[in-house]
Amino acid sequence: MLLKIIGSILVLITSSYIGFKMAASCQERPRHLRQIISCIASMRSYILYARVPLHEAVAQCTNGIYGPVATFFQKIATMLEKQTILTPQEVISKVLHEMQGSLMLNTPEIEVLHVLGGNLGHMNCTEQEKYLLLVIEQLERFENEATRLRDLNTKMYRYLGVCGGMAIVIILV
Amino acid sequence: MTDSKLILVKNILEDYIYPVLPYKLVTMIREIPLEKLIDLTEIRLRVNQPPLLVLANTDILVSPMGKESTIHGKTYVCNQDDLQKTLQLISKNSLYAFEEELKMGFLTIDGGHRIGLTGQAIVNAGEVKALKHISSLNIRLAREVRGCADKIMPFIITKGGHVLNTLIISPPRCGKTTILRDLIRQISGGSKICKGLQVGVVDERSEIAACKNGVSTVDLGPRTDILDGCPKAIGMLMLIRSMSPAVIATDELGRVEDIYAVHEALNAGVSVLATVHGRNNNDLLYRPYVKELLENKSFDRYIILGDSPSVGTIERVIDSKSNEILWDITTK
Repeated sequence: MLLKIIGSILVLITSSYIGFKMAASCQERPRHLRQIISCIASMRSYILYARVPLHEAVAQCTNGIYGPVATFFQKIATMLEKQTILTPQEVISKVLHEMQGSLMLNTPEIEVLHVLGGNLGHMNCTEQEKYLLLVIEQLERFENEATRLRDLNTKMYRYLGVCGGMAIVIILV
Repeated sequence: MTDSKLILVKNILEDYIYPVLPYKLVTMIREIPLEKLIDLTEIRLRVNQPPLLVLANTDILVSPMGKESTIHGKTYVCNQDDLQKTLQLISKNSLYAFEEELKMGFLTIDGGHRIGLTGQAIVNAGEVKALKHISSLNIRLAREVRGCADKIMPFIITKGGHVLNTLIISPPRCGKTTILRDLIRQISGGSKICKGLQVGVVDERSEIAACKNGVSTVDLGPRTDILDGCPKAIGMLMLIRSMSPAVIATDELGRVEDIYAVHEALNAGVSVLATVHGRNNNDLLYRPYVKELLENKSFDRYIILGDSPSVGTIERVIDSKSNEILWDITTK
């Protein structure tokens, strides 16, 4: 009997953990997107008003931001500064490939970041501003969608984890 | 002397020039013995043409194995990608940061080395908006030659230690900026013939002070304030109002607003050191705006530079008021 109780508790904890973990990753995506938007907006200011070189703009745009998004931009800045022969597009592709496990982004967002690299630094200020605003607009749409999905799915994953565990326990016992 | 010149060229190439050239070109140029590059003044890259290393009296075409050549056809040929890569390295992937410079056809890299560009101009309402399809690059090596203004100093400092308004006149590549830089250093630092004075420098093209993040990378003396990347006319007036300099130095006068700003400085009791393109002072009488400065005798001294027998040769020093030649290379 004791073994059955211990086994049931373990099953319940595990399934709840999985449910909460999935809910957390669902919450991360809009947060990462929001941070990326904030970094790009900040980068836009450094480019337009301070006219600092791209690697400096990318390095400074992460002020006040922590976690994988800050690491993503810091890695880009370092690579742009050290490996000057690489284009921004090559650098962003490399870093995205390196960080694909830690950034909670879907394919459309990753594509937008690839395209961002393709046009970064090659234009004058006016065109650069137009382009960065376009990228921000696209990412904001993705963020809204991600927020909607988060509100819809977070509770569901949590309940699913706990209730699923309970159902297994009832069936097995 | 030769050793120090060799070290200087080596340092310039390694620290400033090679980092902005594609690896392929760097490898080729490195193959050429450094002794042959001692008088290197320019590196010219043109699409579908060989890389050209311009020396004081001759030039070298670079061949694929990196050996120097004078025969076209046995040389390496630059392609569009080479120039594109060079531009990417020069701008550090940040063309927007050099927008204004690109409109004027040049940009300046660390160390004060100026890079001229030509290509296809994008024109809007009669104004050059940008350059695209860059087809030629001219990398001009800037050198700091301490003491090159020693000969001039006695002619531009009065017995009371006042700096006379001085216009340095020469064709391109004759050392105007180098001489101006040394004059600033000596006036700011003080010498046997004058005590140190507050000097304001308006460095529109970042060539005089070779600023990095607004701080000079060459020695301009302890009493020098630098306004980097600022248009001359605005900068001179800003300096007069804000830094109360005794001397203002600036490079390459030419526009109407420059002339107005020089007059403002002179009327404010500030001495002006400036440079202008021309073969001699009589040539300048045919240049619009600049001729006003000569007709009004705004400057006290004209320093005429030439490139024979070597770059930076002081050919003549003229007292503008009396037209007396105070120094002449032929009668020295």
